[in-house]
Amino acid sequence: MKQLIKTVLLLFFLMEGLYAETIKNSDTIEKARVKLGHRLFYEADLSINGTMACATCHEQRRGFCDGNRVHPGALDDNGKRNVPTLANVGKFKNLTWSHDHLSGLAEQSLAPIKGTDPVEMGMNGHEDEIAKRLGQNECYQKLFAAAFPQEKGVVNLGTLTQALESFEKTLISENSIYDQAKKKHKKLPTKDARDGEKLFFGAAKCNNCHTAPLFSDDAFHQIQPKNLKVYNGMRDNGLFDVTGNEKDKNVFRTPSLRNVALSLPYWHDGSATTLQDAIKKHKLKTNNKLSAVELRKIIAFLNTLSDESFINNPQFGKPSLECK
Amino acid sequence: MKKLLVIGVLVGSLFAQEAVLPLELDAWKALSYVGAAKSVDELSTATLKVAKASYVGLISTPKMKYVIRPMNEGGTVSYGGMFEVQINESGIYRVVLGNASWIDMTKDGKPAQSIAHSEGPKNSGIRKMVDYKLESGMYVLQLSAGADNSSAILVMKIK
Ligand code: HEC
Ligand code: HEC
Repeated sequence: MKQLIKTVLLLFFLMEGLYAETIKNSDTIEKARVKLGHRLFYEADLSINGTMACATCHEQRRGFCDGNRVHPGALDDNGKRNVPTLANVGKFKNLTWSHDHLSGLAEQSLAPIKGTDPVEMGMNGHEDEIAKRLGQNECYQKLFAAAFPQEKGVVNLGTLTQALESFEKTLISENSIYDQAKKKHKKLPTKDARDGEKLFFGAAKCNNCHTAPLFSDDAFHQIQPKNLKVYNGMRDNGLFDVTGNEKDKNVFRTPSLRNVALSLPYWHDGSATTLQDAIKKHKLKTNNKLSAVELRKIIAFLNTLSDESFINNPQFGKPSLECK
Repeated sequence: MKKLLVIGVLVGSLFAQEAVLPLELDAWKALSYVGAAKSVDELSTATLKVAKASYVGLISTPKMKYVIRPMNEGGTVSYGGMFEVQINESGIYRVVLGNASWIDMTKDGKPAQSIAHSEGPKNSGIRKMVDYKLESGMYVLQLSAGADNSSAILVMKIK
């Protein structure tokens, strides 16, 4: 009997040790993937002619948007949509302006790399080229080996997009002036911002769709002004182009408003040049009847959603020259 | 041969679209060849003169040793280069470029902040124009993340 108890106990400790070991290993692997994904995010060799990285369109200092209406591809193909922020993107179920069944960030990243509507990084049909370029680089050999030990460090779109996903999940913005005030149970610094906050969560009903704390409900809405113009000759029917359901025509996902003051221009087609334009553009009674003063106050509130520590965090910035 | 052809096409396209070129871009017409420097030591042989358009040869990115790390570095299959530009009078200067390379205008190891960006007139052979406020002194103009091994370039004073 004693022997049995001893054996069981021994087994128990062994298993627990093993379990802890696995956790520690998967932690180390996840860290290695974030590090690799970080470097890949800034890697222009992911584009056909080496001119464009993810970071070319998703600039940290603008909350991972860019200042253009749309951004042309590496081969100068016309862009179609405005670059969205990547703040807290790991917390969304639906991705992009209007997709409702992408399996996750890894799958999404294939769109810029090898998508054709529009062509961005231009790698469609040249996927092997990526493995060839990165595989020759000692730094990437090392980083892929650490991040994908079971896959023996193989460089392919599978491992590469998983690493990008791991990095993107670290892009968390939760330290804006608004967040800091909330954490300390303090009021927002200016009267305009406080009034704007009241409007946002109250009478103006912004929070119905731009729901805190993500400032998006991760859901789809039809709020387009009547004559939606075609930009660059590219028709954009929103969710309809994914589902084919008539009711999804011109339906778009609510964008997050975090760091929105840094990310002009606005709207899925970049057609709104200022925050004021963007707010007024909703085909919603509440938005359309906001007075100039109310608009100013709401914008003062939106300004408090900018997160300096997010846009200056070196862990999200250009990786060091040395391989580490 | 290929290079000659490119020069021909570029110059041709500039002449052909003369009508759409703004006046101050007249300087595009006189293109002389300048090979880019790949490191500091080569800078003295890679000089651009203000108001004089040049046809520049660029260098494979892995061979480049930039004075400062470019904002946009470009992959192994892209092209870049460096040039020296003597600025005699402080003022607003425009860098006009035939391809979409990233531009860093640097002095004493620091990049100048750009103050305006625009695309060139359609079919003008101009892909990109960036304006900077510059002091007098010697600047190093860095091109990076370019798609081709050559381009046309012009630095001119606009104010
Ligand atoms: C040419 C510019 C460009 C490049 C390069 C680019 N993106 Fe994007 N990105 C966009 C645009 C535009 C969208 C919106 C796409 C849409 O709605 O269909 C987007 C959307 C996204 C989204 C969805 C965000 C959300 O809120 O759902 C993610 C994630 C993303 N990009 C990551 C990446 C990664 C990773 C790379 C590099 C592999 C990359 N992007 C390269 C322009 C770009
Ligand atoms: C019924 C849901 C809904 C309500 C209510 C709503 N919005 Fe929106 N908002 C959206 C959607 C959807 C978009 C994206 C539209 C597009 O780009 O086509 C959007 C876009 C925006 C944008 C542009 C963001 C960007 O990155 O392009 C801003 C700013 C904005 N809304 C602010 C507000 C404010 C302020 C209010 C309240 C006065 C408000 N919204 C109310 C759904 C809503």
